[in-house]
Amino acid sequence: MPTLTTAPGLRSEIFVPITPAPVWTPITKPLSECTVAFITSGGIHKKTQTPFNTAGDYTFREIPSDTPSDELMVTHGGFDNSDINKDVNAMLPIDRLRELRDEGVIGGLVDTFFGFMGGGGNVDKFRNETGPEIAKRLKAEGADIVLATGGCGTCHRSATIVLRACEAQGMSTCLIAALPPIARQQGAPRITAPHVPIGSNAGEPNNKEMQTGILRDTLDAVESFDHFGQLKMLPYEYRHNV
Amino acid sequence: MSLSLNELEVHMADPAVLCCRRPAGTVLSAQDFEDPTIFDDMVESNLMTLNDDGLTIGQALGGTLKSDGEALTQLTADLVEGGAVESASEPGTAESLAEASAAAPVVSAAPAASADASTDAPNGYIHLHLDKAEGLDLVFPAGPAGSGIPANFAPAAAAGPDTEPEPAPEERVMRTLVKKDYPVSSVVIGQTTSYADGVLSIDGALIEAAEQADPLVKKVTMDVIAPEDRHVYSNTIMDVIPIAAKAEGSLGEGITNVLSGAVFVLTGMDEAGVQIHEFGSCEGFLDEKIRYGRPGCPDESDIMIRVDVQIEQGTGMERRGPFAAHSACDAIVHAIREQIKDLSAQTPVAQETFKDVRRKDRPRVVLVKEIMGQGAMHDNLLVPTEPCGVQGGEKNVDMGNVPVVLSPNEVLDGGIHALACIGPATKEITRHFFREPLVEALQADEEVDLTGVVFIGSPQVNDEKSFVSGRLGSLIEAMEVDGAIITTEGFGNNHIDFSENIAAIGSRGVPVVGVTFAAYQGQLVVGNQYMDAMIELNKDPDGFENEILADNTLTEDDAERAILMLKTKMAGIPIAAPERKWDESVIEANQALV
Repeated sequence: MPTLTTAPGLRSEIFVPITPAPVWTPITKPLSECTVAFITSGGIHKKTQTPFNTAGDYTFREIPSDTPSDELMVTHGGFDNSDINKDVNAMLPIDRLRELRDEGVIGGLVDTFFGFMGGGGNVDKFRNETGPEIAKRLKAEGADIVLATGGCGTCHRSATIVLRACEAQGMSTCLIAALPPIARQQGAPRITAPHVPIGSNAGEPNNKEMQTGILRDTLDAVESFDHFGQLKMLPYEYRHNV
Repeated sequence: MSLSLNELEVHMADPAVLCCRRPAGTVLSAQDFEDPTIFDDMVESNLMTLNDDGLTIGQALGGTLKSDGEALTQLTADLVEGGAVESASEPGTAESLAEASAAAPVVSAAPAASADASTDAPNGYIHLHLDKAEGLDLVFPAGPAGSGIPANFAPAAAAGPDTEPEPAPEERVMRTLVKKDYPVSSVVIGQTTSYADGVLSIDGALIEAAEQADPLVKKVTMDVIAPEDRHVYSNTIMDVIPIAAKAEGSLGEGITNVLSGAVFVLTGMDEAGVQIHEFGSCEGFLDEKIRYGRPGCPDESDIMIRVDVQIEQGTGMERRGPFAAHSACDAIVHAIREQIKDLSAQTPVAQETFKDVRRKDRPRVVLVKEIMGQGAMHDNLLVPTEPCGVQGGEKNVDMGNVPVVLSPNEVLDGGIHALACIGPATKEITRHFFREPLVEALQADEEVDLTGVVFIGSPQVNDEKSFVSGRLGSLIEAMEVDGAIITTEGFGNNHIDFSENIAAIGSRGVPVVGVTFAAYQGQLVVGNQYMDAMIELNKDPDGFENEILADNTLTEDDAERAILMLKTKMAGIPIAAPERKWDESVIEANQALV
């Protein structure tokens, strides 16, 4: 009967971030020729649409990319909503994206953006249904680039799952993360991270300069990053003490 | 709805936190709990706090929420009634938690289930099926508080009386290697090459021969540095090479004559004065730039024979440049080998015997050593004709970095000539392999059956990384091992290989321990669930690749911890999860258990 010398109480000596397998679609044309999509797991939808179930919801809402920003609202129980209530561009920078399109920085926008409520998201549903479905629709609309914001912690995970589905279907994606450790650990293909609180992930409300800067720097990152999992901290800082 | 039933069973002892908003009256099940794996990030980001008085998932499961709960609410006894937690009168103390556990259906069902469970312990695990928990399957290690012997390694436990002495393992000696040590008390550069009475004489004309060894070699100089005279400036140290020659047999068996007390130190730069190094370089004063006594380094008392090679400008970062420097140095070492093949007239001061032993009935263990394979200085010569030599060796880059098996004796007989010049502090150089602590310890360990040492390169291209990791997985499967230790030199992109290689082994159900430098500068950027038993090689106080030769390489202490951790993991005893950041006290605590 062979015995082994053992020692209860041993502890592993190296922290290991558990990252899923890389998924990567390189960008193949200049930004000015790219069609851009935006999705958010921060609970944004049209005021006329059914609100999300804040107890957990893996459904999504179609948001036409020409929707006036004052027709959008947030339903999300995972963070302070006051910044989005002031300016929805703090989570879904729809006005800034249209400006960038009009200036010719990007080639165009898809017809449909997507909002979902990623808080406490059902991982399997997002991985097997919601993510692939959103990716399929964005691909059909000709998206080359998909940008995203996540709201809360688990929203970052849900957004990352959907972005990975998009990347797998041939689109180049980047998550604008307020919580970059989660984005990285969950396997976001590209990550930019302004110094902002959750609830205003895309920049301070009504601060057009900051919101535009975050978007432009993120588009630059999509163009310059050359491998999976890269992260760039962005030089924008906004604090909101709730 | 963040935990699946599969995930639930590994998180029963983790804090119970609502994943989403839940109304009063909710009967708590898997779908109501947040995934505990994200808690550390959430806490670190100030998104949530976890208090000690909370319930575990195992305690909250099946209970009913007394009032509405928001997402990320930590569940405490006053929020939940019924279920496992009902009888826990004072949550928060260790005693009451133990009581709560004792009252849980999970545990109370155990005796009833044990009759079924006893026949269902295939891998040292007890498998419980609980009807009351709505079909929840729970699997946990069978014997953490018991003997520490996994069920599969103790087949005779039920059959034999306890008093029966453990029989000696059935040993089969595959081959024997004897290293005979001949002392060197002085080295002179003279007119002939010879060794007698402790004096090693090296013919100065060999320098010219070294310069002819490769067209890329432009200039060679050689000097002798005594232990007391080490404050000498040097180009970056490319390698430390023992002086050893086969007296009988081929590599890994027979007799090897070793000159102890003197080693070759290869240094170099190119014609333009660029150091031959890649990530980090250790040019400087030799008394400061070498961690004397590391397996790969000169010892405190060693005489260093320094061979400095100047190669063609701009070739330092091509494969051919560093190889030319090694070839030049080997021209000199080889001339000495010719003179020490027959030392029958002299008496060795010591001799060591190494046996490649297979131990039937012992757990089968493999050691996997990841070596650099990305060209330039990231190359290694496998199984040269002479110990630590160049001639006859096959380059792992040319072999596509696929896994290659060496016997332990082949490794310890100089079966690897390392061309590696990655970070000086983490690289495993030629002398390291000649006295590799893990190979020596595993080979001598009577509790395990060391099947072999697998060398696998770290290729440059990501697809190739996946290819070689895949081949390693198939090799491991074919070897039918019970446990594996995998080491890597360096850090950075090779950690991609490292994690893939660990997954290739771990995903086949083989317990695996990973050994690398990570600490602060080299902290892992990728990982997977199989990397749950890891050994840290760092020795730098600040956790850096500090450009002191071999400082952060594997030592005897590291080898002991790695083997103990592997045996513990093979026995089914849990290895605690690591701290979130490099913490030297964890390493010290593990070392204290050895």
